[in-house]
Amino acid sequence: MPFIAFLFVFLLLPTVGVIRKAFLDTSGHFTVSPLGDALTKERKAFVNSIKVSLVTAFLGVIIGVPLAYAAATAKRPRWLRTVVSAFSGVAANMGGVVLAFAFISFIGAQGLGTKILKAFGWDLYDGGFQLNSFAGWATVYLYFQIPLMVLVSLPAIDGLKDSWREASANLGGTTLTYWRRVGIPVLLPSMLGGFMLLFANSFSAYATAYALNTGANIVPVKISFYLQGDIAGESPVPFALATWMVVFMAVSMGGYFWLRKRAERWQS
Amino acid sequence: MAVVAARARRRRRIGRLGPTLLLVGALLFFTLPILAMLRFAMQRVPMVDLGWHTLFKKWTFGTITEAFHEADFGSTLMYSLRLALGTAVGTLVLVLPTTLYVHLRLPKARSFVEFLTVLPYVVPPIAIVAGVSAFFRPNAKWFLNSEYSLIPFYITLALPFTYRALDAGVRAIDVRTLVDASRSLGAGWFTTMFRVLIPNLTSAIVSSSFLTIAVVLGEFTIAANLLRKTFPVFSLELYNKSPLGGLALAVMTLVGSTALLGVLTLLMRRRARRRDYTAGRRRRGASASPATDVATAASLAP
Repeated sequence: MPFIAFLFVFLLLPTVGVIRKAFLDTSGHFTVSPLGDALTKERKAFVNSIKVSLVTAFLGVIIGVPLAYAAATAKRPRWLRTVVSAFSGVAANMGGVVLAFAFISFIGAQGLGTKILKAFGWDLYDGGFQLNSFAGWATVYLYFQIPLMVLVSLPAIDGLKDSWREASANLGGTTLTYWRRVGIPVLLPSMLGGFMLLFANSFSAYATAYALNTGANIVPVKISFYLQGDIAGESPVPFALATWMVVFMAVSMGGYFWLRKRAERWQS
Repeated sequence: MAVVAARARRRRRIGRLGPTLLLVGALLFFTLPILAMLRFAMQRVPMVDLGWHTLFKKWTFGTITEAFHEADFGSTLMYSLRLALGTAVGTLVLVLPTTLYVHLRLPKARSFVEFLTVLPYVVPPIAIVAGVSAFFRPNAKWFLNSEYSLIPFYITLALPFTYRALDAGVRAIDVRTLVDASRSLGAGWFTTMFRVLIPNLTSAIVSSSFLTIAVVLGEFTIAANLLRKTFPVFSLELYNKSPLGGLALAVMTLVGSTALLGVLTLLMRRRARRRDYTAGRRRRGASASPATDVATAASLAP
């Protein structure tokens, strides 16, 4: 089948090429040291990438799920839900250059948001904030992380049936009991799955970080840095980094798909 | 009784307070950056002077029309559009026959093909870039020399949701009956494909193509790293040279792709309504909504 041949050439072969190169030293002998070297040499990049991915995935879930719930259960205005989900589709797609520019105009040093906060007596940049820092990246990433979580959790929230809440109330449960014993357990697979999806999403994000700071010390930007600097393609470092990236992605996306299967049990 | 009802009503109103605050906060967080970018890009006021007192002053499309005159504007935009067109056509040529074939002949292979189509999630664009330099650079340099060498990678990148859009379209019509009817009336495969199936799949084809175009017009990672000057790459370059011009291009991109996705949402809703109508027996919502897949797939692209 041409389709399988296509994927073989343009997806599998490059991936295998990357992994193969990660296991070869400069003279072409098999070795496992590049993988370890990449971890020690670029420890800071891994720490930064994992940190920003964990934090934005966590905040994305914590803010995205209640937001989706608020939008899904609001009776009025009636168009609210449609607008929220359509907008989430657009915002979750935003990334890269456009998003970076929007945030530079918003909370950059001369940004309008910075000025508004200053007018309220809060000098963002006096408090050591920088758009080009951990807190800055995290804020920008949340712009696509939260909407993605909203999209992922909307079907799960629609799966919460009113009759469950009524049943819980009939059995003497309070709102708190309902959430603790019914709501959260049913939503949990979706939330964990969403967390893994969001983690993968920000771990692999390159364009947004690069547009904010061409020297950002995170794994995707480092891969590109080594590739650009090494035209001959001799150093195994970028390939070892990319192999780690694929491993991280495989684990978190695998977790996402598995949990999504579980979550769909309640969505008939 | 009235007291109890009033108390319940009040509790309900207080109960809505949290969600309302949350929604308002989200509204601010998600609209203010865009509005700020609009002001930066479309007001001819020095950046330091942007504030309340200049809110209504000197709005202009000038920065955008000036960006038109940049030397590379036309060529990069056309290049990106050519890539988008090539990717959309390539996707259809590759994925549509596959979907139909699997549907008609190999229904057992469906979950395998579906698994294949989500693999691009696992190999993000930056890993593809590494793969290009690990595999194509030593083995097929001639291929990379073509300015259209980006197209196959873009097809792969868009695959998780172009496949879904096309697959949903194929599942919504009764392919087998259509094919049998057409064949028994003496049509060959070619006629069946172009005069029976494709006209029935128009909306799926349109949505797949729109999604492809939106992805290609926003893709930065692969193009920048393979040193191909597409429209997004040019936007960042221009921003570093003259920030206002770069911002103007970003506004253009945003408006363009939002319009595209807006039209797409409308199309999908119309299709969903028609599907409910004609195939009410079909179980709905077996998977997450198409919009979810669109978003998850495309947001992995940056």
